Amino acid sequence: MNNKLDFLQELGNIGASHATTALSQMLQDTKLELTVPKARMLSFAEAANFIASREEIVVCIYTRMIDMIKGDIAFIMPFSCAVTLANHLTGDDREQLNEIGESALLEVGNIMLGSYITALSLLSDTKIKPTVPGIVIDMNGAIWQSILAGAGVTEAVTILDTKFSTAELELSGHLIFIPDNAVFEALYQKVSSCWKSEETL
Amino acid sequence: MTEVFVNMGEIRVLRSTGVLTTVGLGSCVGVSFYDPITKVGALAHVFLAESRANSDRDALPGKYADTAIPALIDLAVKAGASRERLVAKIAGGAHLFSNITPEHLSVGHRNVKAVIEQLNIYDIPIIGKDVAGKRGRKMKLYVDTGVVIVTIIGEEPKQI
Repeated sequence: MNNKLDFLQELGNIGASHATTALSQMLQDTKLELTVPKARMLSFAEAANFIASREEIVVCIYTRMIDMIKGDIAFIMPFSCAVTLANHLTGDDREQLNEIGESALLEVGNIMLGSYITALSLLSDTKIKPTVPGIVIDMNGAIWQSILAGAGVTEAVTILDTKFSTAELELSGHLIFIPDNAVFEALYQKVSSCWKSEETL
Repeated sequence: MTEVFVNMGEIRVLRSTGVLTTVGLGSCVGVSFYDPITKVGALAHVFLAESRANSDRDALPGKYADTAIPALIDLAVKAGASRERLVAKIAGGAHLFSNITPEHLSVGHRNVKAVIEQLNIYDIPIIGKDVAGKRGRKMKLYVDTGVVIVTIIGEEPKQI
C-alpha cells in the first residue's frame, strides 16, 4: 500500500464485489457488471469544470457517515436509467417516477452504499454510523456541488468512482465515495501499520 | 449571442451583449451585478461563506462570499460600470439533501446569509432574489437587459 489512492482502490474493490453480489440478487440479473473502481484525485478546478457542464437530471441516493469515520457516499444514475430500474423492480411501465418507484430506488441505493460502508468498516475495524439515506432528483451539477460543499471540500478531493452497467437492463450509474480528509489520514495510518506488521511475520 | 459559463468559484464580466450562465447551483449562490447605463454585467458562483474559515490561500476570489463581493465590484468597475449604479440579484443556497439535518444552519443558508451581509456592507442594493428551498438552480444574466432567468427542474423558468 503506497498511498491514499491505493488504499481507496482496495476499499473500492472490496465494496464493489459486495455490491455486485447484492445487486445481482436483487435484480436477478446475471449480466451485471461493475467496472474496477477508480480512485482519483480531482483538483477544485477540475471538479468545478465537471459541474459546469452537468445540468442533466439524475437520481441520487446519498448518505453521510458521521461519528468516528466521516465521509460522503452517493449513488448517482441518469434519470432515464432510474426510471427503467424502478419499472423493473416494481413491475410498472411508467415514464416518470412515483413514490413506490422512488422507494425501490432508495432501497437499491441503500444496498450499494451499504456495501461500501461495510467494506470500509471491515478494513478499518471500526463501527461506522451512516445517516438515514435520502433520495434527490435534480440537476447533476447541483447535486455534486452540494455534496462537495457539504463535505467541506475546498481544495483537492479524493474520490472513489465505480461505474456499473447491466446489458440486460441497459443501466449505468456511478458510486461516488468522498472520505473526510483528516479522518481518512488516521484510518490510513492504522490500516497500513497492520499491513506492515503482517509483512514482517 | 456569446454565452460565458461561470464555474464554481469564478467571476466573469461581460459588457453590452451576451449571457453569463452558471449551472449547478445547489448550496452555492450565484451573485449577479449589473449597471443598467453602461450595460456591464458580472456574475460570481460563490461556493462557501467565509475565506477565513479555510486555509485556502490560492483560492479564486469568487469562491467565498467575503472575497467575492469586493472582487465583483472591482471587476465591474474596471469593465466600465459605475460603483453607485450597481445592483445585485442572487439565486441559489438550497438544501438538497433533506435527509441530512445540519447542526446549525445548512451550507446553503449560511451562503445566502453571508452574501446578503456582504452586499449590505458594500451598500449594493439587492433588487431580485430566488434563494433557499431544496432544489438546484441554473442562473443566466442577460447583459443587454440585466434580466436574470433562474431555472429549477420541473418549474417554469423564473425572471428575477
